[in-house]
Amino acid sequence: MDFRPLNELERKELVSALRGNAEQGRAILLDRRDTTFAGSTDEVPDDEVISAIRSVPCHY
Amino acid sequence: MAIAFSDLLQALKRCAANLVRPPLATHDRKAPSTLVVAEPTPPLEPLRRIVLADEVSRTLFAEFAQHRQGDRGKEEIGWDLLGLRRGSEAVVLATLPAGTKRDAGSCHVLFDAETQGFASRVVRQGHRQLTMLGVVHTHPGSMRHPSSGDYRGDVQWVANLRGQEGIFGIGTADGSPDGVSRQPEVHRQCLGELGFSWYALGTNDRNYRAMPVEMTPGPDLALALRPIWDELEYHAARLDCLARQLNRVTFDVVMGSRKQALAMSIPLADGTRSLRVLMEGREIRYLVVTPDGPLAADYRDDRIDHAVFVLLAELTV
Repeated sequence: MDFRPLNELERKELVSALRGNAEQGRAILLDRRDTTFAGSTDEVPDDEVISAIRSVPCHY
Repeated sequence: MAIAFSDLLQALKRCAANLVRPPLATHDRKAPSTLVVAEPTPPLEPLRRIVLADEVSRTLFAEFAQHRQGDRGKEEIGWDLLGLRRGSEAVVLATLPAGTKRDAGSCHVLFDAETQGFASRVVRQGHRQLTMLGVVHTHPGSMRHPSSGDYRGDVQWVANLRGQEGIFGIGTADGSPDGVSRQPEVHRQCLGELGFSWYALGTNDRNYRAMPVEMTPGPDLALALRPIWDELEYHAARLDCLARQLNRVTFDVVMGSRKQALAMSIPLADGTRSLRVLMEGREIRYLVVTPDGPLAADYRDDRIDHAVFVLLAELTV
């Protein structure tokens, strides 16, 4: 088993993916072939956008 | 979702290896699924600036001016704003108009949310990262700040947005009609007599915060929908139902027989054919697209959702 310190880019990606998942519910992607970590996604679900649009209040 | 930490480390090692490999040839469309973007999205911070794509800014000024010349020019008008929320900034990349079915007067405007909601599906087909950022609306006089009535609704509504903050623009027509563009304050853009003042509001804010606004070269991704907005308004409810019920439905703006038209495509299970619906004005045409060319369906029904399911049943082998 290979252990080594993360470089700066790896550390940023890891922190960003975990924080995005914990704070904003962003998906953490899995490789469909072996289920390993494949980054995170910035995709926003349709329902989230449409729900926000449909709840825009009246403006005065 | 639970992921073993060792898996994360293992994948990060693989990602790093991918980053040092030679770039893929442009014709190779099968990118490895483990390749991730090198620039991670920064975590959300409180908003500190608004960035408008230049076409978005031009759309707002042009449609505000056009609105004032129209029959309903004394009414308030507005737009939903879609874009990217990242770090401490909101980048606006699309505007959805209030629509002709809006409920508006000289002191209020309530957008046609049904059509805007469906339009957001169409815009986001190729831009899944777009999110709802906020709202622009106009005031009839010279009040360049959102009203107390605006605050009561907005402070609750922003809980629906990423970062629990939204951006808000107020349009007024109280400048000098000299046709010159200027930015007299960091949160205000003017063109002739028209101006937009920009603010942010979070769920815990007691008032709107004036927000510096900048421009960057970029598109209004919803501008292509303007020529078919009438079709969107007429069919939005039924098309939205279809988009929810059927997988892989896509929408396009295409050239019709007289003007631009809204097209919907539904791939069939055989993998070679698709059902295509063209909407131009009130006219609806149903086509089956085959490898040998399109076939017009001899079928008329203004209820698109009903018609689609009838045709899908006919086409099922």
